Amino acid sequence: MTSKRAWALAILLLLTSFALVTSWALILRPIQVNILMPASIAKSTAGLVRQFNNDHHGYINLQVTQGPQDTEAMSDLAISSLLLGKSPYDALLIDVHWLPKYARAGWLTPLDPWIEQQEIDSLAPGAQLGNSYDDHLYRWPLMADMGLLYWRTDLISKPPRTPEELVKVSQRLQQEGKVPYGYIWQGRQYEGLSCVFLEVLDGFGGQWLTPGTDAVGLDSSASVKAAGWLRDLIISGVSPEAVVNYSEPETLQAFKSGDAALMRNWPYAWGEVQKDNSPIKGKVGVTTMVAAPGHTSTATLGSWGFSILKGSSNPEAAAEAIAFLTSTYAQKQLFLNYSYTPTKATLFKDPELLSKSQILPDLAKALQHTEQRPQTPVYAQISDVLQRQLSSILTSQGELKTAMDRAQVNTEQILLAAGETR
Amino acid sequence: MIRTRNLWITVLLLWSLAPLLWQLYTSFCSNESLIHTFATHQHRWTLENYRQVLTANPPFWRYLLNSAFVGISSTGLTLLLAIPAAYSLVKVPQNFARGARLFLLGAALFPYVLLFLALLEIARSLNLGNNLLALSFPYAALSMPLAVLLLSSAFRDLPSEIEEAARLEGLGLWQRLRWVLIPLIGPATASTAILVFLFSWNEYPIALTWISTTDLLTLPVAIARIAGSSVYSIPYGAYAAATVLGSLPLLLLVIIFQRQIVSGLTQGAIKG
Amino acid sequence: MIQLLLLPAALLIALIFGIPLLRYLWLSFHADSVITSLVAIPNNGANWFRLFNDQRFWQDTYQTARFAFVSVSLEIFLALGIALLLDQRWRGRGVVRAITLLPWALPTTVMALGWRWIFNTPNGPIEQFAKLIGLQHLYGLQDLNILANPSLTWLATVVGDVWKTTPFVALILLAGLQTIPNDLYEAFDLEGGKPCAGLFKITLPLLQPYLLLGLLFRLAQAFGVFDLIQVMTGGGPASSTESLALYAYLNAMRFLDFGYSATVMIASFLLLVFICLFGWLVIHQTKHFREVVK
Repeated sequence: MTSKRAWALAILLLLTSFALVTSWALILRPIQVNILMPASIAKSTAGLVRQFNNDHHGYINLQVTQGPQDTEAMSDLAISSLLLGKSPYDALLIDVHWLPKYARAGWLTPLDPWIEQQEIDSLAPGAQLGNSYDDHLYRWPLMADMGLLYWRTDLISKPPRTPEELVKVSQRLQQEGKVPYGYIWQGRQYEGLSCVFLEVLDGFGGQWLTPGTDAVGLDSSASVKAAGWLRDLIISGVSPEAVVNYSEPETLQAFKSGDAALMRNWPYAWGEVQKDNSPIKGKVGVTTMVAAPGHTSTATLGSWGFSILKGSSNPEAAAEAIAFLTSTYAQKQLFLNYSYTPTKATLFKDPELLSKSQILPDLAKALQHTEQRPQTPVYAQISDVLQRQLSSILTSQGELKTAMDRAQVNTEQILLAAGETR
Repeated sequence: MIRTRNLWITVLLLWSLAPLLWQLYTSFCSNESLIHTFATHQHRWTLENYRQVLTANPPFWRYLLNSAFVGISSTGLTLLLAIPAAYSLVKVPQNFARGARLFLLGAALFPYVLLFLALLEIARSLNLGNNLLALSFPYAALSMPLAVLLLSSAFRDLPSEIEEAARLEGLGLWQRLRWVLIPLIGPATASTAILVFLFSWNEYPIALTWISTTDLLTLPVAIARIAGSSVYSIPYGAYAAATVLGSLPLLLLVIIFQRQIVSGLTQGAIKG
Repeated sequence: MIQLLLLPAALLIALIFGIPLLRYLWLSFHADSVITSLVAIPNNGANWFRLFNDQRFWQDTYQTARFAFVSVSLEIFLALGIALLLDQRWRGRGVVRAITLLPWALPTTVMALGWRWIFNTPNGPIEQFAKLIGLQHLYGLQDLNILANPSLTWLATVVGDVWKTTPFVALILLAGLQTIPNDLYEAFDLEGGKPCAGLFKITLPLLQPYLLLGLLFRLAQAFGVFDLIQVMTGGGPASSTESLALYAYLNAMRFLDFGYSATVMIASFLLLVFICLFGWLVIHQTKHFREVVK
């Protein structure tokens, strides 16, 4: 009897001490925070992440998971991890146009408790857009991002400002045999094509979706003109036929090897064309997209930003990591080393950055003219409809007006269906 | 006559190998030389692509390992369930067996990609996501119809006297299966195993939706993901290196098990 | 007792095949999308109504069917040739057979990526070769732009599929050839028949069940084509290569519209069953017909 009791006591003691040791270890173990980022950004932020982990040694351990680069593949990965439940990530870097969808699906935690209004106000105007849904802040931008027109300073004295000028200068350069092509852009059937089109559409004075309403403007005359202009670029040979299969890497590659005088791309491309091995280093300038006379040129708002997932068990620690990765210090590093455009308004006037980069004022200017893609949870669908019709126009499968009418009708149907089920 | 035949054999070999050889060639070329083909380059040949693929995070062999693991566990699970089922299919009444066989044939024909969404939901509700072992369940189920068909035709071919003799010796059902029948259908089992393994190794849509952790990706998904891995340039060399590395294990497998694969497929065709 | 041995396998098959189909049927009568915050709400068949008016669904059906019919017919045709070649006895047959088999054993995604590079404009070998012989001038183009030209891209996907799956069909046909006794040909030769006629008089009729099996199997698989398209073209350009499976995938994973995705999948399944039944009936009829003629 006594021996039995002694055993029980011993086991109890053992269990208690085990529980104590584990809980002690759990308290002392740093909080794990895992963030999913697209490959290139994961690489660029690696140094900052190391620094953060040193500063928070034994308290927070930030881990970055490297996702695919392509935004759609990245979205598929993020979504499948969310749909599987129990996502392995605490936070995601999300592309600006995913936000309404993710927020509406109920996957994100509002960031309002961690980010104060004055911090929001300190962002440059373009960077303030696209972070909220239904009056809650869900996303905090890592960088500002907008479509830019790159031009070769050694071939042209000043960049074209209207669509007409763009074509004229391209054809002149082509005739002189200075470049095989005038202008290259992203014409592949994917999200980038919607971005390209939005800029041209605005430049011709049209509007994709009037904010706050369901009024679609894809069959407007401006819209038809915009799509027609893109198509004619290919027909007239200003843009290569292969442009209908170009996404950003192909565009950059062709521009870098001197195949074209003008390119539409995002700010990251600047760092690439300025690399030492680049044949066009020091021969490139940036400006905003062309616009028809009487209309202002606009830049499609891109950019990646952090969102904390609802399932995260450590939102506090994740918020702290995000605060560091988006701090003024981090933004300076990322701009100087990787040409990630900063989001804080003050940085655009920072003497150190200004002395190191001649395009910062251009970026600031472009950021003031950013335009958002439609803010709706069904954006992926309506963008897909648009890409499909544009692609059929660019590949001469569809007649211009018919295709845009179809895009209009399909978009209206999607929005209507979304409204009905709500 | 023989000359035309040799001609056709050459054509066949070219058709089968040319795309692979082109990938092999590409994998040893530097990216610059690929973009400007036919131009002479000092640094045409390089191992850089392989270095890049093998030192990526996680390294490429990790995916091979994952695929091999899933392949082996799915094959094991399939055989474990398919052998008894195939045996019993031979023993049950003919009408029932015929119906079951027709049903299995239908299931084997089914384009399983259509199942991915519901399987994703199953993975969520049973918490099977991001688990390589769990991936064997859908894989085993999807290869089950073919496996049962192949194995039951092998059981059917065994002379019934053998089992009768074993029964007279006093061997129970399990003993008969374990010591007499299963060894006898060894060749058919091997072919089935190879086919299941190949299927699991190559499966894409389910792995794509069930696995979201980078370390656990299987080869086909990892390869597809390399497709969108760089903003700066188009890494055709790295693509090619990845395809070569991804093909090598299968090349070996096909060369070693060529006979089993052929007999497996032909058996299935004759009896299925 | 013995029937019990079937149970585990049957349960697993029921779980992985049966439950999804029932679930899709149920989902197809519900709105379950990002708009409903991923909660299923009954919607009185609105999904089905939408499906019938969905131009894109019907276009994808057409494209999928086109892809399936063209690639499967090519595969059967080529596979027949390969099988006849491999059926003869010659030195090195084993090695050639292994090499022929190789494309089939590789993961689809691996070579889908390879094809993307092979068909690349302007650096891929096909484009280079076309330039070398001046093929593009035939069409007055600068490049062929295979993956950017809606009338060529789907053919490129057919090539990818034919390359990969012909060996599989060839093996099935090879199995069939090996069941044909040699005496038949000898008797035919004695009667003075031409070798070519032997193919039509003996081989093809006896091969019929194998041709049928290969046809059915490949048709079903090609109808569900997904891996190849997703990696090789992503459905573009101008959605000219989008397949039904890819459309269902996009609806689920990108648009987060599970109700409609399920509807598309059930509908494609029904279409496939319909096609197979139709094919079955036609074959049945012709068989019957032949017996009547006899």
